[in-house]
Amino acid sequence: MKTTKKYWKGLAQLNDDPIVEKLAQNEFVEDLPVDQFLGDKENLSSTNSSRRDFLKFLGFSTAAATLAACETPVVKSIPYLVKPDEIIPGVANYYASTIYDGRDYASVLVKTREGRPIKIEGNKTSSNARVQASVLSLYDSSRLKYPLKNNDESDWRTIDSEIKDKLLRIKNGKIVLLSSTILSPTTNELVKSFSKKYRNVEHLMIDSNPYDGLLDANLESFGVRLAPTYSFDKAHVIVSFGADFLANWMANDYATDYINGRNPKSGKMSKHYQLETNLSLTGANADKRIQIKPSEQAYLLSNLLGALKGESFDKRLTKIVKDLKSSKTKSIVISNSNDKNTQLIVNAINHQLSNYGNTISITNPSKLKQGNTSNVDALISDMQNGNVEALITYNVNPSYTLANSKEFNNALKNVSLKISTSQHHDETAHLMDYVCPDSHNLESWGDANPKHGVYSLMQPTISPLFNTRQFQESLLSWMNKSDFQSFQKNYWISKGVDWNKSLHDGYFNLNEPSIKVKRFTDNSISVAKKNNESIELEIYETVALGDGRQANNPWLQELPDPITRACWDNYLTISSSTADKLGLSNWNVSNGAMNGSLVNITDGNNILENVPVMITPGQAQNTVGMAVGYGRTRAGKAGDNVGFNAYPFLNTKELTITKIEGEYEFASIQLHHTMMGRDIVKETSLAEYIKDPSAGNHRELYHTYKGKLPSNEVSLYEEHDLETGHFWNLSIDLTSCVGCGECVVACQSENNIPVVGKEEMRKSRDMHWLRIDRYFSSDMTKELSKEEKISAITMYSEMEVPSENPEVVFQPVMCMHCNHAPCENVCPVAATTHSNEGLNQMTYNRCIGTRYCANNCPYKVRRFNWFQYSENEKFDFHMNDDLGKMVLNPDVVVRSRGVIEKCSMCIQKIQEVKLTAKREGRPVKDYEAQTACSSSCSTNALVFGDSNNKESKVWNLRNDERAYDLLDHLNVRPSVFYQTKIRNKA
Amino acid sequence: MHQESEIRDPLILGNKTYHDITREIALPVEGKANKYWWILFGLSVVLFLWGIGCMAYTIGTGIGVWGLNKTVNWAWDITNFVWWIGIGHAGTLISAVLLLFRQKWRMAINRSAEAMTIFGVVQAGLFPLIHMGRPWLAYWVFPIPNTYGSLWQNFNSPLLWDVFAISTYLTVSTVFWYIGLIPDFAMIRDRMSKTISPMKKQLYTLLAFGWSGRAKHWQRFEEVSLVLAGLATPLVFSVHSIVSMDFATSVIPGWHTTIFPPYFVLGALFSGFAMVETLLIIVRKVVHMEAYITIKHIEYMNIIILFTGSMVGTAYITELFMAWYSGVEFEQYAFLNRATGPYWWAYVSMMSCNVIIPQLYWIKKIRTSFIATFILSIFVNIGMWFERFVIIVTSLHRDFLPSAWSMFSPTFIDIGIFLGTIGFFFVLFLMYARTFPVVAQAELKTILKSSGSEYKKRSHE
Repeated sequence: MKTTKKYWKGLAQLNDDPIVEKLAQNEFVEDLPVDQFLGDKENLSSTNSSRRDFLKFLGFSTAAATLAACETPVVKSIPYLVKPDEIIPGVANYYASTIYDGRDYASVLVKTREGRPIKIEGNKTSSNARVQASVLSLYDSSRLKYPLKNNDESDWRTIDSEIKDKLLRIKNGKIVLLSSTILSPTTNELVKSFSKKYRNVEHLMIDSNPYDGLLDANLESFGVRLAPTYSFDKAHVIVSFGADFLANWMANDYATDYINGRNPKSGKMSKHYQLETNLSLTGANADKRIQIKPSEQAYLLSNLLGALKGESFDKRLTKIVKDLKSSKTKSIVISNSNDKNTQLIVNAINHQLSNYGNTISITNPSKLKQGNTSNVDALISDMQNGNVEALITYNVNPSYTLANSKEFNNALKNVSLKISTSQHHDETAHLMDYVCPDSHNLESWGDANPKHGVYSLMQPTISPLFNTRQFQESLLSWMNKSDFQSFQKNYWISKGVDWNKSLHDGYFNLNEPSIKVKRFTDNSISVAKKNNESIELEIYETVALGDGRQANNPWLQELPDPITRACWDNYLTISSSTADKLGLSNWNVSNGAMNGSLVNITDGNNILENVPVMITPGQAQNTVGMAVGYGRTRAGKAGDNVGFNAYPFLNTKELTITKIEGEYEFASIQLHHTMMGRDIVKETSLAEYIKDPSAGNHRELYHTYKGKLPSNEVSLYEEHDLETGHFWNLSIDLTSCVGCGECVVACQSENNIPVVGKEEMRKSRDMHWLRIDRYFSSDMTKELSKEEKISAITMYSEMEVPSENPEVVFQPVMCMHCNHAPCENVCPVAATTHSNEGLNQMTYNRCIGTRYCANNCPYKVRRFNWFQYSENEKFDFHMNDDLGKMVLNPDVVVRSRGVIEKCSMCIQKIQEVKLTAKREGRPVKDYEAQTACSSSCSTNALVFGDSNNKESKVWNLRNDERAYDLLDHLNVRPSVFYQTKIRNKA
Repeated sequence: MHQESEIRDPLILGNKTYHDITREIALPVEGKANKYWWILFGLSVVLFLWGIGCMAYTIGTGIGVWGLNKTVNWAWDITNFVWWIGIGHAGTLISAVLLLFRQKWRMAINRSAEAMTIFGVVQAGLFPLIHMGRPWLAYWVFPIPNTYGSLWQNFNSPLLWDVFAISTYLTVSTVFWYIGLIPDFAMIRDRMSKTISPMKKQLYTLLAFGWSGRAKHWQRFEEVSLVLAGLATPLVFSVHSIVSMDFATSVIPGWHTTIFPPYFVLGALFSGFAMVETLLIIVRKVVHMEAYITIKHIEYMNIIILFTGSMVGTAYITELFMAWYSGVEFEQYAFLNRATGPYWWAYVSMMSCNVIIPQLYWIKKIRTSFIATFILSIFVNIGMWFERFVIIVTSLHRDFLPSAWSMFSPTFIDIGIFLGTIGFFFVLFLMYARTFPVVAQAELKTILKSSGSEYKKRSHE
């Protein structure tokens, strides 16, 4: 309603008198008496305020004004206006979801705090370091924040209408959807309806590290182009030809099953042979490792097949043949070869051993790898010929991962409509017309079908941080539809799935009949031995980076490689004797850091210059290894230009290496590789263990006047009371630990451990609270030196050199929480003290940073904040970034410069469990309290619990014959203890 | 028949009279500085400022600017700390222990040796402070009543013992030094002209503490000196014993050694005397004290160096023996690694500078040569620095778990801070040389054989 009321100040205004207007123009109606004031000299001179006073007033008011202008820094903390029901500040919510980025799959539990996902935990299945770290990739500031058109910011409406328009106008040419292996049934469904809407849609799947050989071989042998599933827990004999199945092979973590099949207590322990070129994580865990060149693999497999059929065989295979023959139906033979004929031999061997249907199931196959590289070659020629009018990429980065990426990039120019759905403006995306950024897994709906009959669901745990849209929504909107969530829900409800329960659990199983395969056809061709003197190359993926998808994740870049212990790099791995031949070496500079020679490599087509060389024991003679996943150019600030790109060499067999001048600086955090004859990892064989469960675990005794006594009986110290209340203990089973490094990332994520970057890692200033030590065996032993009367000096210097094909042990080391802690004694201000629950506690606020504790720690697990690692431009990682800081765990303080930090045994998690139990009026249950490392361990190597609870698993382990304290002779009484390593050696 | 017993060589050369002594000792204070002084002072100030810059950078940025790492958490910082503390030891020994033993030759050198002690302790005290991650909280090491609840120091920590040991040492040394200075300050006060330099006069009047030279004053002076000497004597042994316990009470092979307290004390005296020699040979030239600091003094000190050096050598060898005899592989490796590992050159430097080179003092010609002594004293200073470096770094860099083994290399900040403290030390010492009577002249006059020798001289004529 329009108001006509008018207020007036006087009648003059009412009457529109011009004086009103005139007065309004004049600010000072009356003259200011300035002259009168300044002119009055007499009065002015008689005032009390002198010139001095004036200056004082001026000074004061300036200072006051300046001070008033200062503002205390504003910490943005916005309270809920209306609190969501499910969120209680300070209490974590967990959501079951799925992580699948086109490479790594895991069914997970996502921990959220106040609506922010901060931690990923496995949901009854195993995950890996990359899955653990993916939560940080959510808060990656280099993610695309809006859709792009010709590499410029755009909006969804424009982009969608243009794309739809262009798609509809396509007449003859193909529309190609190039994706990674798609696990999601609903996405496949969407792709189908997309194909119906637009003509000529072709869906191609590729894997960054192809498995064509294996899949094609299965197509020939069984008529299905799928990989089988393996039951490593049922196998008595495992023979792996280069397949790194504990880490990266098949993108499935078989470690849980593998370790389930290796339980010395039950006497059931598989025998694991690994015949490989590079020293892989799996090879490091093998009972017997045989070095072979890649070119020998097919011959040896063919030879093995012949041997099983009764023919003569290579003498390296003697034991393998014997063991395999005696464990038909209970063995597994696998190979990492991408050659169909080699895989056909593998199939024939497994068939010969009747493993199909027993330890290997092709009727319940895995869906994790379905890519077909030959599609790409066809696609490239199609693009060159102009047959492709539109290309949509999803979860792939072909310009980076293809061996022939240059051809791909050139051919791409002939495509008129190029759409990427990448989360990043990556190597491929920046060549595209449109980028429709996908949302992160943790912001998306979805589902996955990793293997036959097994399904898991993905649900968002945070609304999209940026103006991104998940791929499925993009597809729907190009079909003029929307709401993928309802589409997915209705799809599964129509299949009879209990939606709410499944979403709550995160997974469900469908009772699907096994798939039909055709009778096994043996198409294997025998392969003859050939001698190859040239240097052969084997490409591998590192445990940290995999195929390089998450290269911009600083946690992963800083995760030391389990074998070389180097981080922020890839390199050419080479054996010491081959290196000697080529004049290459590694050496330590004055601060201990490692340097290496540089080489140029070429395979005829590709040339790589300035490649650093890392001497790796266990590498087969005349071979080199090279990791993909590095050398990204458009990954983001952490991932760009780290290492070199090895993808162009994906299909390379042989290399020419030329040494060049110069040296390379590595960031390796373990500079010594052997145990120097010390009893650090106590080890025995299965046979010895069966005879005597305490084999290899004999305590060192002290000579005293009362006779020989163990260290704990000759103590001068007063005992802590550890009987009352809880006594938190952690058992680490060295037989079960495969060294995968998942716990390291889990710990980093739980405890807000800073990333320090390559330069600091190189200076041995890693901040990880938990490290996994790796030791190689050496040819020199104490026994040998005694026998051959070798002097101590020579003995120790030779002990430093690892064997050419060493046995490898992994040992996770964190704060041992000593109950007679050397660190506690020496702190002048009592910043590190003992809890009455057997924990060594660090009070950051009290620490003045003398580092005496770190010096006196026999395990060297204390970490010092050499610099301010958070909010410091020099350490431009996630903690220097408002977005990246969202991943921080609010229960754990971010440490400042100048204080010591170390493993707290996840005290925040223990406290939470104790409070819950107290509130519910019950004792803490076994397994209720878990540390980040113990809950993330896929193989249950780390068992945490209360040793005062005589029912607990950890109490049983404490009293096991295999249990031992590291550096027992010091009598520091650690709360962390180890179980001897047992290898199934003959 | 005139029978004359053989008398010792005089400790003061050149037939000085009482007045000569007064005049010559007061000269550097009253006169202008010479060229050498200015050169040395300029150089020291530059080093000092450079060190201040490096310290400020460390405190502003973080300890990460040093070459330390997760394995070697102490290196140059604590090496320098122990080195400076050790240097301080000779001063107290000379002034306290030799006083109790009535060694008159100490009188010419005790003032400077004590000054060196105090300045050395000041340098030493800097290191525990700046090596802290959060030096602004350094006051937490003092038992100050606080409102933080039951927060108190950890009296089990040798680092806390250090705090008390060093602060006591510094206090007692300073008081002892000052008491000794009172008659000399009074002498300078009396010589100062009220009209020419009133400020100086006033200052020295204040410092002289009302000294009037009455018999009662002298009596009290003697008594206090004796009491303080008694107090300071145990400190000579306790301070370095406690410093050694930083290492001895730890669990690290190479540190965990019961021989450390006596070994460190002897080492400290050894290095202290070497530093006294280095300084006095310079002072002697720069402020013309040739008559007072004689070759006799140098020879006495050289004998002490020879003795303590040999004892230190015995300690080194005992350590090696114990490592072998213990049968503990970690101990054995620690010492084997010291001698043959990557830091063998530091071990060789230590052994040759501390054990082999001082053996040259068996030769009288070397023992009684200023130049040889100066060179050898520098060797000992270097050797003793290396001793601490060897103990700290080679023990830490390879301890129990080979996976954590690492190495240490100093950054230019490490070096800068060390040079800075040397600069600071010399700034203090050179300023002292121009403002303080560098020789305890009042005491010295008690041993001037003026009347007897004068009479003899005259009767010969």
